[in-house]
Amino acid sequence: MSVDVLIAEDEPSILESLDFILRRAGWTISSVTDGEAAIDAVRLLQPRVVVLDLMLPKRSGFEVLKLIRSEEATRSLPVLVLTAKGQQQDRRIAEDLGADRFVTKPYANADVVGAVRELLEARSAATGGGESRS
Amino acid sequence: MRAPIGIRIVNGRKSQGVSQAELARRIGISASYLNLIERNKRDVGGKLLQRIAAELGLGIEALTGESEQRLIHVLEEAFSDPVLEPARLDSPDIQALVAQSPAAAAAMARLYRAYGDAVSSAEAYANRLNSDPLLAELLHQILNHITAVRSSAEILEDVSDLSEADRLRFRTSINRDSRALSDVARTLIRQFERSAVRRRSLSPARELDDLIIQENNHFPALEEVAEVLRAEALAAGPFGEAALAAVLEHRFGVAVRRGSGHRPGETGFPGQYRYDADRRVMWFQGSTTAATRQFQLARLFAELAAPDVLQGLVDDGRLTSAASRRLGYRAMGSYVAGAMVLPYSRFLEDAERQRYDIDFLAQTYTASFEQVAHRLVTLRRPGEEGIAFGFLRSDPAGRLTKHFPLPGLQLPSVGHACPLWAIYGAFSTPGQVVRQIVRFPDNSRYLFVAKTVARRAATFSERAVPSSVQLATHVLNADRTVYADGLELSTGSGDVPVGPACRLCIRRECVHRQEEALATPGAEGMQREPLVPRGFDLGATD
Repeated sequence: MSVDVLIAEDEPSILESLDFILRRAGWTISSVTDGEAAIDAVRLLQPRVVVLDLMLPKRSGFEVLKLIRSEEATRSLPVLVLTAKGQQQDRRIAEDLGADRFVTKPYANADVVGAVRELLEARSAATGGGESRS
Repeated sequence: MRAPIGIRIVNGRKSQGVSQAELARRIGISASYLNLIERNKRDVGGKLLQRIAAELGLGIEALTGESEQRLIHVLEEAFSDPVLEPARLDSPDIQALVAQSPAAAAAMARLYRAYGDAVSSAEAYANRLNSDPLLAELLHQILNHITAVRSSAEILEDVSDLSEADRLRFRTSINRDSRALSDVARTLIRQFERSAVRRRSLSPARELDDLIIQENNHFPALEEVAEVLRAEALAAGPFGEAALAAVLEHRFGVAVRRGSGHRPGETGFPGQYRYDADRRVMWFQGSTTAATRQFQLARLFAELAAPDVLQGLVDDGRLTSAASRRLGYRAMGSYVAGAMVLPYSRFLEDAERQRYDIDFLAQTYTASFEQVAHRLVTLRRPGEEGIAFGFLRSDPAGRLTKHFPLPGLQLPSVGHACPLWAIYGAFSTPGQVVRQIVRFPDNSRYLFVAKTVARRAATFSERAVPSSVQLATHVLNADRTVYADGLELSTGSGDVPVGPACRLCIRRECVHRQEEALATPGAEGMQREPLVPRGFDLGATD
C-alpha cells in the first residue's frame, strides 16, 4: 500500500491528533516515533510527504533530513518540519539541510493540513499530475 | 577629580576658632602657603595633611572627603547610564547633590547598584533560557503539551461527526496533557527558584567589597590577633614556615605534608594546597612557593586559633547571606595571615625606608608580590598610615577580579578598565614591573605600578594562568616610592592620557577606544568609523 504522509513524531498525543486530522483529510498515513524508524520507513514506504519533528529519539530530525537529502531516491521528497516557537536557530539549520516547509508548534490543525496539501500538490505538479488524492 | 580639601580645612579651622596664621604656625608652614592650600591652589597630602588633621582634631577622611568621593563616582556612573538620561546631571550638579543631600545621594547610589544587579540577573536569565539544556527541554515539553491540547480541542470543536470513541479518546488526551503541562510548569518554576538562589550568590563578593571599603581596608581587631599569633609562632623559632608548622603541630596536632600531587584522573588533593580537617593534614603541592606555604600556614593558624574573632567580623549585618559570610570569613583569615607575615609597624617602617619597593619587601619577608601589594593597601592605622594605595587585580581576559578603591581614582564597578592602564600593559612583559604616570580627563594624575603574577605549574598539562596586580596612588605620593625614579613628575610631559574605562571616558580623540561611551550628548566621533564618511542617522540615504 502506498503511503501519502509519513509522520515522525515522538509525542503520543500529538501523533494521535496528527494521524487523525491527516487521515480525515483523505490521505493514507504511516507513523513512527523515533529517527531510526523514520529513516527505515522513508526507504521502505517511499511516502509522498514527510511530517518531521526535529526532537526525535535515537536519530534527530536533522539527521533524518540530511539522510533524505543525501540519497538519490529521496532527494526530492517534500519534508514538512515541525518546529517549536522560539527555536529560530533550529529552523535555520533545517532550512540549510533542505526542509521545504515549516509549521510552528503550537499550531492550528488547519495549518498542518494546508501545508501538507500544498506539498502534495506541488509534488503532483512536478511529477506530471495524477498523484494527488484529495 | 580633586577633592575640595581646601574648603574642608577652612571649615574645620573656623569651627575650631583657629586663625589661618595660627594654624600655619602650628603645622610649620607659612600662612601664605596655607592660604594657597585652603583655596585649592596647592595640592596637599601625606605628612602635612596628617599634621593639619591632627591639629584640627579631625580624621584624614573628614578632610579628604573620601566617602563622598566614592559616592560621587557611583553617581557619575549612574548619570552617564542611558536609563537616567532624561535626568542628566553633570559633575558639579552631582557634587552639589552629595554636599546638600548626602542621604538622598547615598540612597540613589544604592538604587543604582541594585538596578545594576537586576540588569545582570535579567541577562543571566536570558542566557539561561538560550543555553541551559534543562530549561530548553522543559520549554520543549511545554510546547508539545500545549500543541497536543490545542490540536485535540480543535478536533472536538471542529469535527461534527466525531464518533463517541474518538470524542472520548481526544478528551482523555486533553486531560492527560493538561496534567502533564501543570507538572512541567511546576518543575520550571522550581528551576527558576533555584537559579535565583544561585544568582544571588554572585553578589556576595560585592557585599564584602563594600564592607572592606567602609572599614577603609583596615581591621584593628585582626591586626591584634595577628600580633598575638605571630608572637606565639616566634616562640617556636624565627618566624617562617618552620615555626608556623611547629606551632600548628604543637597546638592543633596538624601535620604539614608536601608532595608531587596526582596525575590527572587520580583522586586526592587537587590544586596547590588543601587542608584535610578530619585527618588534620595540611598538604602542599611540591611546586608551591615558600611564600604560598608560609601564607597559607599562617592563614590556617588564624582559622584554627581565632575562629571567634573571624566569625564576629563576618556576623556583621552588612554580610547578608551565608555565601557572603563564607567569603568574608576566608578574606578575614587571609587578612590575619598577611598581617602575621608582614607585621604592621615593622613592615611600614621597612616600606618607607625601602621606598615601597614591593619586590624588595617581598624577598625580605618571604612573601609574594601580590601579598605585599595587598598588605600595603591595609596600612591605614590612624596616626600610623602608609601611602594610600588602591589595588586592582585583572585576569588575562581583562576582567577586574579584585579591587580596593583609592579615593579620587575612578574605577569601573564592573567589567574592565581602560586598556591603556599598566595593569594590562604588564601582560606584555610577564614578571616585570610596569609603571606609569597617568592623567585622567579631569587632569588628576596617579602613579600606576603593575606586574603579572602566576602560580607555578605542577605538571606540563597544568595551565598557569597569570593575573596582573596593580597598585595606584596619587601622584603627590609618587616620589616617596622607587617607582617614580626617572619619571617626569613635575611637568607631566610623560603622562599617559587615560580614562576609567571606555564607557565612562570622555576622551573623544582616543584612538584606543573599544566601546562607545555611555549616554554622552553629541557622541559623534567617539567610536570607530568607516574610512569614507557616511551618515547612519535615521532616514539617512547615502
